[in-house]
Amino acid sequence: MISMAALVTIVGMASATYTTRLAGYLLLRKRKLGPRARAVMEAAPGCVLISVIAPHFVSPHPEELIALGITLVAAWRLPMLFTVALGVASLAVLRLIL
Amino acid sequence: MTHTHTRSEILRGAKDALPIMFAVAPYAMVLGAQASQVGLSLVEVGVMTGLNFAGGSEFAAIKLWAAVPPMLTIVLITLLINSRHIVMGAALAPYLQHLPKRKVIPALFFMADEGWAISYADTARRSLAQQQPAFSWPYYWGVCLPFYPVWVGFALVGAAIGPALGNIEAYGFAMAFPAVFIVLLRSMWKGPQLACSWLVSLLVAILVYLTVPGAWFVFAGVIAGMLFTYLRAVAQ
Repeated sequence: MISMAALVTIVGMASATYTTRLAGYLLLRKRKLGPRARAVMEAAPGCVLISVIAPHFVSPHPEELIALGITLVAAWRLPMLFTVALGVASLAVLRLIL
Repeated sequence: MTHTHTRSEILRGAKDALPIMFAVAPYAMVLGAQASQVGLSLVEVGVMTGLNFAGGSEFAAIKLWAAVPPMLTIVLITLLINSRHIVMGAALAPYLQHLPKRKVIPALFFMADEGWAISYADTARRSLAQQQPAFSWPYYWGVCLPFYPVWVGFALVGAAIGPALGNIEAYGFAMAFPAVFIVLLRSMWKGPQLACSWLVSLLVAILVYLTVPGAWFVFAGVIAGMLFTYLRAVAQ
């Protein structure tokens, strides 16, 4: 079942989320970007990804920091699946031994 | 565009998305389990993940949930956490100009972090190789759409089996998301200039994360990295 309060809250969340997904496209869809704006928009995707995972770089748990280091090195050479598997496995093992 | 080309592009996208499913599925289960613990019904979990389809904001909403949920707070937090989508959509916008608005608008509903990042990295690669169009429409769908049933489905599984799940984070899955994002970053790597902008984002995000409570660190990190890039472009 779904309560009215829950439904209203969820619809509010969903509207907020979809608005953010549309806004960037609708704002820039017809614009021709200058060189500066292009440079900014080229850097932006990486800025988003790194900011989302920033808390992991200052984790209070040493085993998470070590696993993050291993993941960083692995990502340099290995494809996605192996990097994720190695990151998860190394954290699981480190939690057992530390 | 031929039929077989469309199909091969969809499959290429789905293949690139597949390894990330192994990171997304356990998180969806954790979300479902936490949601059921704070009193959301199965239907409510399904409706939330299905209509909102943005993990970070759903975890935040669950943390704030109550018998009568604080609606305004939850919506504002959702807006803040998902404000990064504005930048994500803007980065994609120049590559979408060959597509009609009525096709793009529904497609953007499915623009979650992982699907967007894979699709954007592919677009940047094709653009560099002078392939036209740089943005592959069927590839985008092949990448983004599979995340939807996985996210909603595994959240429902998590909500259904709830406490039986135990503490799934204890197994090391905490590293799955940073690992995915780091590989995606590498695929966007284009040299030290770009990396400097990312470093500014990282440092500011960390600083704000450590000093300001709440979800402001993503917002601050993204803005700082973009501002730095702009100022450097002005100086050059």
